[in-house]
Amino acid sequence: MAIMTAPGTATKPAPAPPRTVSKKGRKVRDNLTGHAFLLGAVFCFALFMWFPMIRGIVMSFQRTRRGETTWVGWDNYSRIIADPSFWTAWKNTFLFTALALVVGYVLPFFVAILLNELRHAKGYLRILVYLPVMLPPASALFLFKYYAYDPSEAGLFNAILKALHLPTSEWMQSPTMTIPAMVIASTWMNLGSAVLIYLASLQNIPGELYEAAELDGAGVWRRIWNVTIPQTRLILALLAMLQIVATMQLFIEPLILANGAGTQDSATSVAYLIYQHGFFQNDLNGAAALGVIMLVVLAAFSAVYVRLTTKQD
Amino acid sequence: MTRTLISQAQLQRGRGRFLYWTVLTVVVAGFTLVFLGPLYWMVTGALKTGQEIAQTPPTLWPHDPQLQNYADAWNNLDLAKLLFNTFYYAAGAVFFQLVFDTAAAYALSKLRPVLGNVILGLMLATLMIPAMVLIVPQYVTAIDLPFIHVNLLDSPWAIWLPLVANAFNIFLLKRFFDSIPEDLIAAAQVDGASPLRTLWSIILPMSRPILGVVSIFAVTAVWKDFLWPKLVMPSPETRTLSVGIYAFSGGTPMNVVIAASVIAAIPTVIIFLIFQRNIMSGLTTGSLKG
Amino acid sequence: MSVPQYRKAAAFALAAGLGFSLVACSTKSSDDSGTDASGKVTITVDCQPVGAQKELLANWNADVAEFEKQNPDISIKSVSVGEQCNNPPDFTARLAGGTMTDVFYGYMTDLQQVLDSGQAADITSAVSKDTIPTWDSVDPALKEVFTDEGKLYAIPVKNYSMGLVYNKALFKKAGLDAENPPKTWAEVRSAAKKIAGLGGGVAGFSEYSAGNTGGWHFTAEIYSQGGKVLSEDGKKAAFNDAAGKQVLQNLKDMRYGDNSMGSRQLLQWGDLLTNAGAGKVGMFIGAPDATQAIVSQFQGKYEDWAMGPMPGQDGAAKGTLGGGEGYFFKKGLSEAQVKAGLKWIAYQKLTPGKGQLDYVRAKPQNYPVGLPQPLLFSNGSEAQKQELDLRKANANVDTANFKVFEDNPVAIVGEPRNAQAIYAVLDSAMSGVLTNPNANIDSLLKTAEEKVNQLQAAGS
Repeated sequence: MAIMTAPGTATKPAPAPPRTVSKKGRKVRDNLTGHAFLLGAVFCFALFMWFPMIRGIVMSFQRTRRGETTWVGWDNYSRIIADPSFWTAWKNTFLFTALALVVGYVLPFFVAILLNELRHAKGYLRILVYLPVMLPPASALFLFKYYAYDPSEAGLFNAILKALHLPTSEWMQSPTMTIPAMVIASTWMNLGSAVLIYLASLQNIPGELYEAAELDGAGVWRRIWNVTIPQTRLILALLAMLQIVATMQLFIEPLILANGAGTQDSATSVAYLIYQHGFFQNDLNGAAALGVIMLVVLAAFSAVYVRLTTKQD
Repeated sequence: MTRTLISQAQLQRGRGRFLYWTVLTVVVAGFTLVFLGPLYWMVTGALKTGQEIAQTPPTLWPHDPQLQNYADAWNNLDLAKLLFNTFYYAAGAVFFQLVFDTAAAYALSKLRPVLGNVILGLMLATLMIPAMVLIVPQYVTAIDLPFIHVNLLDSPWAIWLPLVANAFNIFLLKRFFDSIPEDLIAAAQVDGASPLRTLWSIILPMSRPILGVVSIFAVTAVWKDFLWPKLVMPSPETRTLSVGIYAFSGGTPMNVVIAASVIAAIPTVIIFLIFQRNIMSGLTTGSLKG
Repeated sequence: MSVPQYRKAAAFALAAGLGFSLVACSTKSSDDSGTDASGKVTITVDCQPVGAQKELLANWNADVAEFEKQNPDISIKSVSVGEQCNNPPDFTARLAGGTMTDVFYGYMTDLQQVLDSGQAADITSAVSKDTIPTWDSVDPALKEVFTDEGKLYAIPVKNYSMGLVYNKALFKKAGLDAENPPKTWAEVRSAAKKIAGLGGGVAGFSEYSAGNTGGWHFTAEIYSQGGKVLSEDGKKAAFNDAAGKQVLQNLKDMRYGDNSMGSRQLLQWGDLLTNAGAGKVGMFIGAPDATQAIVSQFQGKYEDWAMGPMPGQDGAAKGTLGGGEGYFFKKGLSEAQVKAGLKWIAYQKLTPGKGQLDYVRAKPQNYPVGLPQPLLFSNGSEAQKQELDLRKANANVDTANFKVFEDNPVAIVGEPRNAQAIYAVLDSAMSGVLTNPNANIDSLLKTAEEKVNQLQAAGS
């Protein structure tokens, strides 16, 4: 994957730096300089990534009460798993991730292809698509909560549906609509950035490929399938990965749209459950255990993912 | 104009031409409705009274515009403070990410000290760890830093430092630096330039597009993040916009909440409109290529 | 500059940058004694009214100025933490992070959590007539709530009990007797039906089901049925019984049987009060100070609102939920700071005619005087007499609106232990009956029971 290339150069593994002086002292000094440059980033990684990682695992086997910390074995895990919301939260999270993958991942790709073909109003359309990204997430979600998803007929969506003589919905109040409604809001909010990234990669597809395909008699869909997708495959794969990791962390949508758990837990996500245990139920250790479980699930998932993508090569 | 999926010629002839203009009209109208429509609803909705909002069917234009809602939002939520905080955190995030991540990427790409690859590997491993997994231990760390026992709550460092630990940015920067020819650096070394000077006067000037991209990502991260600032900036004086609006939503009439949301969006939209060319071209020319 | 020096400079710059950053943020925690060179004691206090509550904020600031004038050796730093002074997740985060103010606000139900966090100071020995002149008159039951194993941890400053809040204007419009609010749930139901019949999106009866407020009201309503939330020993859920089922059945009947609760559900605190302020709510369960929030924060009008007692199933309610607020003291404060904090609370909260009880000042403001609560002082005490006389003399709301509530006292039951976590679980039972026409009450209660049992087992 050729992410970022300097102007006028091709990506290639850099040759080893010339080692003109081979004195030992010089080498030590060079290393020290190298590490000095690394220091700031390594410090931050150590403090906010590597150390918390270990600490999270340690915490998940401890319990702190009245300032005293004791080892409790697997207690936190069994407590978290016994929570009736545990499986619901996973179910909701997976459903959201899957739906968001279908809608929120495929849609921007086709929007980008469409925008790339249009010869007029280019700037205007790009700005439009990117506008929701500019809103603070809380603002965008309040817009949906108060106006679009109002369950009465005074709501924007219901008014439109009614005008079109379609059945109206109770949106966030309907257990079956809760997750689709969160996917719609989240897609609207985030579509713009994915479209821009796709647009960038579409512009790097050599025109001759389309030319050749057309000469072979390939129609528009065939050309998308045979040229566009293979040419953007790496960026598609990368965004799929990022999208899944991002949607698995579903949090602000349930918090704002559904006031947390939604109707009968229909909006509860794993991330919300972590927050609920850690900061409502005063159970940071249980929340840490749930974090570790989430980590294991994601690690398993990415192992499968890496397996699948490397096989294709 | 380079050739895209559909050829220029095809779009200029008979049926193709008709189809093109139809699609264009539909797309322009549809996108305006989908992306601008809700924003229109937001701006005008914030002008309506509580009674008018609950009316069926909803009104397209507020009958009795309540500018007071906007004034209330500005004053009651102390939006000026929230905006300032958010921009302050974003500016700091850009600064620290540029300084530390560029330095680290440079070291990993060009200086390559011993164990550099191990460090890079450890950094990249964090790419797969979503923020939510570490939220509790990170929080516990932020409230009581190991060894020195300093509490970072309500301090901007609690936002800046974790953002430096961004493996994606280091990866982007390193890949970019990798592509800068080694000869240039060797030449500089022969001239007696130190690594810092090489970075400053050779690498960085060539890396403007990627530095732009990293800056955009840094700003977006601060702008979009919610739970972390909510946890580490608990007092009203230090909140970010998103957290502040959420915090006040519980005890504020919804018109005022929406009015606050509109005001909150204005500065970024203006900044975006001014720099839109740079942002778009930065993302296009310098950024992720498939 | 030669090459090695350059390198040293680079390394130094990085190290210095980091070192400096740590020094910069460590300055915060350095000043703990709270006493400066001139012997002036400084304390931070939270729950300062927010900017939206203009008059309350002005009153608070005037109180601080006056108090500092009377006590030149004390300096009060006020902190506002939002419209709701105690938003559970923020409160928990502050406790976990130790970022509460020196003197910090909490609900009566927060005592266990505050003790668990190890952040509260034992103030038993510091409280006396010297620090709080009216201390002996403060209702002992309120002191008891903030006492654990014989030690006092907070000073009560407000209390409430819930009843039926109703909109007189809508009652009249619907042809109901506005002076005679419903006293049983059956009467509530028929009144709600009539009010909802007015149309225009008006809910006859409105109820919470999100953000822990649903569970809070479930608790109030099960008390009215004579039921309880937890068993005597506090270890098991006790709401999965006839009383609990009746609570949900009443709501389900109104919501789907009569369609008299409006279509907007999943309401939490501000949502319901926003609707009430806009004149879209006929009745809801609440404490007298709910009317204050409706007017000062949600653009409603006092003359519209009145209160009756908590409804019962057949006849008077068997109990109602009561609670309140107090101020805790952070562990590690100096003796002088605790004293200063107590004096401030005494002045602003517990002195008839001053601070929150300054009814003369409040009378012309958009802030109610004459509500039946709080009742901080015990019956027959001198302080109580003074306060009630002042309240009556300066009433700016029609006290008749609260007469039915006052004349029909209902036994007050406190909130369950571990209340916020239990409320979160019960929210889902409430949202179940309010958003699902086919909700199965038995299974909703059973699920909630399992969750609460598990919660209590883990928490004890």
